[in-house]
Amino acid sequence: MPKLVTNLLKTLSVAVVLIWSLVPILMIVVSSFKADRDIFAAPPRLFFEPTFNNYLTLWTNWGDFFHGLINSAIITIGATVLAVVTSALAGYAYSRFRNPLLSFSAFFLIFIRLIPPIVITLPLFPAVNMLRLNDTHILLMVLYATFFVSLGTLVMRTFMDQIPRELDEAAHIDGATRMQILRRIIFPLSAQGMVAVAVFVIVFAWNEFLFAFIFTTTNAKTAPLVISEMYGAVEGVEWGVLFAASTVQLLPVLIFVILAQKHLVAGLTAGATKG
Amino acid sequence: MSSPAPRRQSRVKAALPALFMVGPVQLMVISMIFIPVLFVAWLSFNESSFGQAPVFVGWQNYVQVLSDPYFWRSMTNTVIVVLIVVHLELLLGLGVALLFASGVPMRPLLLAAVLAPYAVSEISAVVMWRYLFDLDVGFATQLLTFLGLPALEWSINPLHGLILVALLSIWLHLPFTFVILYAARLAIPNDLYEAAGVDGATPFQKFRRITLPLLMPAMLIAMLFRYIFAFRLFSEVWLLTGGGPARQTEVLAVYLYLEAFRYNAFGEAAATGWLLVLASLGLAMFYLRRLYKEMFAANA
Repeated sequence: MPKLVTNLLKTLSVAVVLIWSLVPILMIVVSSFKADRDIFAAPPRLFFEPTFNNYLTLWTNWGDFFHGLINSAIITIGATVLAVVTSALAGYAYSRFRNPLLSFSAFFLIFIRLIPPIVITLPLFPAVNMLRLNDTHILLMVLYATFFVSLGTLVMRTFMDQIPRELDEAAHIDGATRMQILRRIIFPLSAQGMVAVAVFVIVFAWNEFLFAFIFTTTNAKTAPLVISEMYGAVEGVEWGVLFAASTVQLLPVLIFVILAQKHLVAGLTAGATKG
Repeated sequence: MSSPAPRRQSRVKAALPALFMVGPVQLMVISMIFIPVLFVAWLSFNESSFGQAPVFVGWQNYVQVLSDPYFWRSMTNTVIVVLIVVHLELLLGLGVALLFASGVPMRPLLLAAVLAPYAVSEISAVVMWRYLFDLDVGFATQLLTFLGLPALEWSINPLHGLILVALLSIWLHLPFTFVILYAARLAIPNDLYEAAGVDGATPFQKFRRITLPLLMPAMLIAMLFRYIFAFRLFSEVWLLTGGGPARQTEVLAVYLYLEAFRYNAFGEAAATGWLLVLASLGLAMFYLRRLYKEMFAANA
């Protein structure tokens, strides 16, 4: 009997966890195929005649949104490459060298993570305007990468610490240069860590709102920003189109996270254990 | 331990390639984060707004901020949201992690479901929760009504607005807390539980004596990070309520944004910013001290 009770409780808990995690997402995706009368039906309709009208409207009236998606893609790729390359280099240095100056700089990196992003927008805003960098892709790439190199370096270091040093030493004795050791041994063996860092940066850069909101206006406007404009529309929100846009923005990264979940878990664990 | 001069030189020399390799990362954080933060400190002692030369005013900005009722309102709101978010999220994260550890059907699928909110942007999450709690047609509102509970009047009642912000914030960040706790739970060797079982320990005793103490370090780390990240909350509040009605749901980051970009009070905004930085460092004080000692112990 108690066995039955625990099993029942467990099933119930699993159901609650599933509902909590998935219902908000499914609701948006499903509702994006609803006509307005079905979106605003009370009680909510589970069965309805699906329509692609919202997607058509999005396509015809919101060119801005697709422009935003392209911008998001460019910025995400740039930020990811920049963050992964610089983190891998730094991670190697912290993994293989010991010296007080290095230790201090590692501590500094962790300390930097504590600074709230909104604070640095104050001095950056006039500086960026002066340098004519406002509303550019490159600015957001560098900003996004910068906010993830601390965690990235930490994760890379954790992964590289697991590569036996004997490998580097043997290669060194065989006359390999440091660059060759990095290229042939260290980077291939720490590829998993690079994927983990890439997952973090991709998800962050694809979804980020604050910096995009402050530093872009038209040219480099990202998809989340366009969605927020739809949502904040003064003359009434077009919910159907908003759901369609949210779905389009969400699905690629959702599929990506599910495919890369192993790396995400490994990366989070590596980043958390070391602080 | 003092080493002779030539050896010290060679030590620096040996470290040169390493310093080169950490160069790019350090350059990025120094130029984009560290120098700007120092500049904020300087700005906070000056009166300035756009296109105006700064004038040194001493502590005046701080006095103004600390005597602004809206600042204190946003401070109170931040504390409310942070306390709800961090502690509920830790409890939920712990619950889900232990549920997974006890064995669940179709684990990979369930894991994907729990991690799913991690992929959602703040704006999409706001759209979702705003629709869920729509006063006329929202699922959640209907459910509350069905259970005989009052609806969450998030757009009218400031406290309700903050509760909704806290809910959606927990929803967005639970994957992070869950993963850290789940990984820590998986790292506990099974022999411990087996041995305790042989000694006739009840499930509750196992939890009290094994799981909880061994999960403590991970829980403290997760809690610290969530404190620091919840404390800088901006987008969820900005997008959901914009700080309204009547500036009653602002949090510190929203207050700072409005001071700087709507009211052009850069000095006050900088003072607020610097207070945010100090508070973040204060929260992390113990952690930083421990880390510092560890790092330099490794070097001795």
